[in-house]
Amino acid sequence: MTNVVDRLLDATRRRVDGADALWRREERTAVAFESGRLKTAGVTEEAGINLRVLAGGRVGVAGTTAATPDIQALVDRARASAELGEPLDLAFPPVSRLPDIPTHFDTAAGASLERLIRMGRTLVERLAREGCQVNVAVEREIAETTVGNSAGARGGYRATGVAVTADLLRIAGDDVLMVYDQYTGADLPADADLDALARSIERRLEPALTVVEPPEGALPVVFTPTGLAAVLLPLEHALSGKTVLQGTSPLAGKVGEALFDAGLSITDDPLAPARAASRPLDDECIASRTTALVERGVVRRFVYDLETAARAGTYTTGHGRRGIFGKPRIAYTNLIVGSGPDVVGARHAVPLQLGGGLLDGIDDGLLVDDLIGVGQGNVIGGAFSHPVALAYRVRRGEIAGRVKDAAVAGNAYDLLKRIGGFGTDGRWLGSHWSPSLLLEGVSVARR
Amino acid sequence: MRDRLAAALKASRADYTEIRVERTWSSAVTFRGRRLETATVSEDEGGFVRVLNQGYGWGIASFTSLDELPAMVIRANQLSRAVRLDEPIRLAQTAPQVAAAALDLDGDVRGVPLAEKKRLLEAYNGAMLGVSDRVVDTQASYQDEVSEVWYVNSEGTALSQLRPEVVLSGTAIARRDGTIEKGLESIGLRKGWRSVHGLEERFRTVAGRAVDLLDAPRVKGGAYPVILDNELAGVFVHEAFGHLSEADFVYQSPQAREMMTLGRRFGKPVLNVGDNGAAPGLRGTLPFDDEGTPTQDTPLIKNGILVGRLHSRETAAKLGERPTGNARAISFRHPPIVRMTNTYIAPGRGSLEDLIKDISLGVYACGAFGGQTMLENFSFTAAYGHMIRDGHVAELVKDVVLAGNLFQTLDRIDHIAGDFTWNQMGGGCGKGGQFPLPVTEGAPHVRIEEALVGGDVPA
Repeated sequence: MTNVVDRLLDATRRRVDGADALWRREERTAVAFESGRLKTAGVTEEAGINLRVLAGGRVGVAGTTAATPDIQALVDRARASAELGEPLDLAFPPVSRLPDIPTHFDTAAGASLERLIRMGRTLVERLAREGCQVNVAVEREIAETTVGNSAGARGGYRATGVAVTADLLRIAGDDVLMVYDQYTGADLPADADLDALARSIERRLEPALTVVEPPEGALPVVFTPTGLAAVLLPLEHALSGKTVLQGTSPLAGKVGEALFDAGLSITDDPLAPARAASRPLDDECIASRTTALVERGVVRRFVYDLETAARAGTYTTGHGRRGIFGKPRIAYTNLIVGSGPDVVGARHAVPLQLGGGLLDGIDDGLLVDDLIGVGQGNVIGGAFSHPVALAYRVRRGEIAGRVKDAAVAGNAYDLLKRIGGFGTDGRWLGSHWSPSLLLEGVSVARR
Repeated sequence: MRDRLAAALKASRADYTEIRVERTWSSAVTFRGRRLETATVSEDEGGFVRVLNQGYGWGIASFTSLDELPAMVIRANQLSRAVRLDEPIRLAQTAPQVAAAALDLDGDVRGVPLAEKKRLLEAYNGAMLGVSDRVVDTQASYQDEVSEVWYVNSEGTALSQLRPEVVLSGTAIARRDGTIEKGLESIGLRKGWRSVHGLEERFRTVAGRAVDLLDAPRVKGGAYPVILDNELAGVFVHEAFGHLSEADFVYQSPQAREMMTLGRRFGKPVLNVGDNGAAPGLRGTLPFDDEGTPTQDTPLIKNGILVGRLHSRETAAKLGERPTGNARAISFRHPPIVRMTNTYIAPGRGSLEDLIKDISLGVYACGAFGGQTMLENFSFTAAYGHMIRDGHVAELVKDVVLAGNLFQTLDRIDHIAGDFTWNQMGGGCGKGGQFPLPVTEGAPHVRIEEALVGGDVPA
């Protein structure tokens, strides 16, 4: 089946000026524990192909999940799509040498359903406590990808991915508290990883049992790696070559300028060991490599795919991602904030340390672990404003308890100019790695 | 297809088996700025099998290769038998349904050339770009689909449905130096080609607003009397209450059941809330849910009192209540879970002026960029707002995000106007990894005596 890319590219020969294609097959196995008991086991199998053609100087795409695709019909649809497309001088890259990185782990691929269930049960038993509901999901994915183009480039790899998520819901009278954590990686979690996950939940839960009044004003706020998402999201948008091309990136034209705190570095790393987003090449046949986006506060590079790079007159950074339908778009792989994981961090088995060592100097402030509505405001402008989902008041360097009915607001570009401190608690959260950050002068409103 | 499904059902050795097969034809056109991004036609198909055995849990399988159907029925049964349960899963009784329900295609989108769809969207995109030089970027998209869905289960239900959908959306980005603002229009209809014309003015309006917001101040954070316009009030009821009324939240937790006891007061007598999957012509409307249960109008809050909740067959059986037709899946890739359909705040009396006239300082929050709930607490993000000063709508303000609390915010709704509208938006609802599920929200203008608005506060 993997030679479907070859057959498809053969079929485009003499009918179009150039083409590239992706074939991907994914198989997911998932088990779900609800309220502490195993309820569901399921599998998902999906395969499909995505074709892009260059015809008459214009680009068109087509995709199908049909099990036995009508290849001629797919080419016809891609050509019809190109007839409506914009002119573009798109060059498909030639063969290149691919980095040798492990993406497929036999222990993950070979894990039996019973083993996945055992992992889930271990967590459920560990987290069980009076008055709390525990939900755990374990998911294992096995994927195979083949990409190729009319310039002769070919690449493919098999990959595994494992995600374990646990949440604990505590309802006491009218107080609802939810804490969660996750493990993600290309291989199965070690016992230490599951222990770190459980301990991360426990460390959030214990100080949250006391509810205290929120503070108010422009205050020092520590954002945990999870809480930081709202602050980093505007930068993720602004560092995309697409946003730059469209003239809406506040960072456009600022390469080489020191716009952020000198401690802030952001790197995209598709070569990070054993991460689920790592890959030897992108979905447009470009060999993977690490890209420094922000280095010690200085804007260095935007990320591009083939088409955006062609329009912008630059080169692709290997950030093309494509699904079965639609055309490739720009997507990050693993985003690393700060200096990146050391050997211990890379192994993931680090339980959350609430505060990351940043609370000492705070007389009155907030520790934010989770916000509500992230991504729904005017993200590109840098402004954020969100009610807290899980946050703690910090008094005289200590966590005083959980706060409710408070909202934090600020502008990412202003706040990241001066960072009060980087935590010692860097950890992976899906495809993001970061420590906690202390930001000064964050607006905290309360009722 | 019916024969294939019947044969697969017959071969199943599980106590309960259901099979869903979908075939979706869709086309999409997107513009970014003045440039066409894509114009494509796609075909997607696949199947879903879910089985249950006495003393065991759910086994599920989804797949894109329909040739695999018989093998997947066997696989789902093996998975079910790997999940041993002490407390059996029961499904509430429903009468078997046999029907072929074809919704009106309203101008079959499959017969319209892609070039015509491109022309239509180009006009709407151009309407946004033409508003001002300050509109530096746009994203406009047109998506349509016609899906054929077959559903059968081992209790005798056999359904086929034909569902059209069309979604138009436009984002206008306005910029002056470092200040960047956006305006958003989104229209989602369970209709076809005949319903998507003549909308230029709506796209022009949101682009104009993005430009106006460049000069607007950020709202000051704090607690205010707040009036929600119809669109934001719809998002509010979805986030504030709709998700809590989904019975999968309460059915396994005694504490949650206690908190959501039927008969408990959640609001003042002016508050009436419901969910109606059978309302004609809306995006969340379907004759049957994805377990084959007919949809219905389900009252949730009556005169401020909790009177009902939304169910699947499993949650209904567990709580000894009746299924409401709210088990929905976004596609064959997912199992049905308890979801909303068309959720509404029923109209009260009076107009916006009646709600505003006795507010000396407040916020009129309008339009919706989105909302999210964490159960007790939730956010709803307005597209823009106006300050209310001395009973009048005053200056435009931006970054209006409201922080809600289930027990406090609902109870502080003290006036509901009579100007009800359904908001037929695109996008949809996300839950349990399933996004976007087509839903509709409806509401009149709503007044909240006091709500927390996030934003800058004095140091």
